[in-house]
Formats: sequence, structure tokens, C-alpha cells
Amino acid sequence: MTVSPEDDAAAAEFALGTLDSSERAALAARRLREPELDQAIRGWEERLAPLAEATPPIDPPQDYLAAIEARLKTGDASAAVVMLERRLARWRAAAIGAASLAAMLAVGFVISETRRAAAPTEFVAVLQKNAETPAFVASINVETRELTVRPLAAPPQPGKSYELWIIDDKLGAPRSLGLIGTSGVTRSPRLDPYDRAVVEAATYAVTVEPPGGSPNGAPSGPPVFVGKLVPVGP
Amino acid sequence: MQAAGTEGDLVDLMRRVAAHDTKAFAELYRRTQSKLYGVVARILRRGDQSGEALQEAYVRIWEKAAEFDPAKGSPLAWMATIARNRAIDEVRRSRPVSLEELPEALEPAAEEVDPLGARDRSERLAALLDCLRGLGDDRREVVLLAYYRGLSREALARRFDKPVPTIKTWLRRGLMQLRDCLDS
Repeated sequence: MTVSPEDDAAAAEFALGTLDSSERAALAARRLREPELDQAIRGWEERLAPLAEATPPIDPPQDYLAAIEARLKTGDASAAVVMLERRLARWRAAAIGAASLAAMLAVGFVISETRRAAAPTEFVAVLQKNAETPAFVASINVETRELTVRPLAAPPQPGKSYELWIIDDKLGAPRSLGLIGTSGVTRSPRLDPYDRAVVEAATYAVTVEPPGGSPNGAPSGPPVFVGKLVPVGP
Repeated sequence: MQAAGTEGDLVDLMRRVAAHDTKAFAELYRRTQSKLYGVVARILRRGDQSGEALQEAYVRIWEKAAEFDPAKGSPLAWMATIARNRAIDEVRRSRPVSLEELPEALEPAAEEVDPLGARDRSERLAALLDCLRGLGDDRREVVLLAYYRGLSREALARRFDKPVPTIKTWLRRGLMQLRDCLDS
């Protein structure tokens, strides 16, 4: 057991279900990045799970099988695809949690940006771990596909590089948008190949990579900062 | 009601579902739907929410079946954990406080769960129940009500007429005591 007693107690209450919605959401987000916490929650779920055996059955009011089958992704279930889907699912879960915070936070940054670029084609995404730690702001013109990334409070990673990724269902695996620096503004033309709709809807994520970027074109680890675009201006 | 079948049958079905065998999935659904609906309906109480949670749970079971490990528990316990998590997510997000105060009479007819009186027990359940007996009555009750009915700390505080921090302490001490007992 390597989590703190406080985290262990929270993990226990997570498994039991008694955390309130914000505590639950916070822990759900943390477990994506903290394998030990994730393991603690699973351990508690396993301890309590036998209780379900004693639950008396209730027949569902209707047969949901056809409705469920319509939602299943069938077909190729090769290990690689399953792994990829799992990785994407984790990324999306992390992104969704951060997106609403990013949307709120972005409003503040946008005010100064607005005067300069008020067209509805301008979007920004705050890339962050949580509301207290906005790391980068990505500004994107969805018409020209111009991408500009400004560091806010991204901690320098000696001997490592930050790499930016675009993630969207339509793209499959995360696609690299290149390295981003922690001191100056980074401009990148790498959004050129993507549809406007994809650029607008996508999730943007930052990973820590070996110097020079991911060696194999895929993220080496989970995202450290994520965000979604919000329009600048009215 | 369909019988859940023996655990061995379910383990075999889970393996086939992990390989995305749709026939096996249909069979797994038929054998376990009432059990899982019993889990989510006791927590959500509203039929529309329970039906939705049940569907989402089976989609996740399909997606995650490869992660099931028979060494760590029964297929039913694993599936129930997924279903319960869906139901808890929903109840914490959407339930207005007033609904938690619904008189019992308004709830759908659901037998209260009496795990201590359960006859068919796996070894794991028997061990857990032995440990639950070792908790004080109040601590055992809050844990069981939270597990089976999905009651929040606030709802438990009302039911036991105690402040919320007291309930939190009962829950946490109860759970830690439970773990120490299971580990011993």
C-alpha cells in the first residue's frame, strides 16, 4: 500500500459510493494519472464486490438486449485495437474533466485576446492539469489553421520535451502537433491537414516526451495537460 | 427471473465475451440482467435511470471483459461493480436531495437486502459477512445502506440522526476495520 491514509480512506469511500459528486469527480480524474490510487480503488471494489451476490434480483421492466447490442462496437477485436481504444478512452475521460474547467478559465484569458482577434474563427484552449495549474494556452484560428501556444505556468522539464497532440474520434490515434516550449511562443502549421470541424471539436493534450519528441509518433504516457477549444469573442 | 447459472458457466461466457462473441454476450445478458437490475434499481429507484444505467453497464462489460480476472472474484461480482459504479455516478450527479427523502412507500417494491441472512454464499461473501458482523451495528448499517441503496453521507446522516462528519467517521473507520479483518 503506497497511498496515504487519507487517499486510502477516500478510495474506500469511492468504492462504497459515499463521496459527494465533486469529491468523486476529483478522485476519478486523479486515478487516471495515479496508478497507485487507481489500484487502491480497485482493491476496495474487490473487497466489497461479494456483497452484490446477496442482492435479490429484480426483473428489468423491458428487454434491453437489442438496445445494448446496437451500442456495442463489434468487429475487429485484435489486442492492438483494444489497447488503443482503452488508451483513447482514458485520454477522453481526462479531457472531459478538464474541459469544463478550461472553458471557465479561458474566459478570463480571452478578454485581452479579444480586442486583437475578435473574429469567430479564433479559439483558445487552456491546457491544464486542474483549475489551479493552467500550463499553456493554445490559440487556434480554425479557418487558417494557425496554431500558437503560449506557456503560462508550465514547469520546465529538464532533459524532456513537451509535445502537443490533437485527439478526436475521427482521427483514431492521437496525432502529434509538434513540440512546445516553456519559455517562448510556439507557432505551428501542423493543423493544416485537419478539417475545421475536427480542429474545433478535438481535445488538445500535452505529454512529456524524450528530448526531441515521441520516438514512435505515439504518446509515451498519459497526458499531463489537456483542454478543449472555446471561441474567442461574443 | 432467469437463473444466473453456475460461476464456471459465467467465467466461460466472460472469456467468449472478451473475444467479442455476440452470442455469448446475449447469453450473459439473459443470465445476469435481473441480478444487475436489482443492483442499479435499488440505488436509482427511477425506472428510466435504472434502465439507462443497466444498458451503459452492459456496454462497459462488453468493452472491458478482457480485464476480468477470475482470480480476483466472481464474474457476477465484477459485473455488479461496473453496474453499481454507473448507478452511483448517476445518483450523485442527478439526484435532488428531496428525492432521497422520499417516503419508503413511494419506492418501487424492492426487497430490503439482508446479506447476513443470505443462504447461498461464496467463500468471499462468507468471509466479508463474518467481518461485517464484527463491526458495531451502526457502522455495519451505514456500510450496507451505502452499498445496497447508494445512500449519500447526508442521507445517512438524516436516517441515523447524526451530523455528517460523524457518518463520515463511521464509514471510514468501518471500512478500515473491515479491511484489517479481511487481511487477517
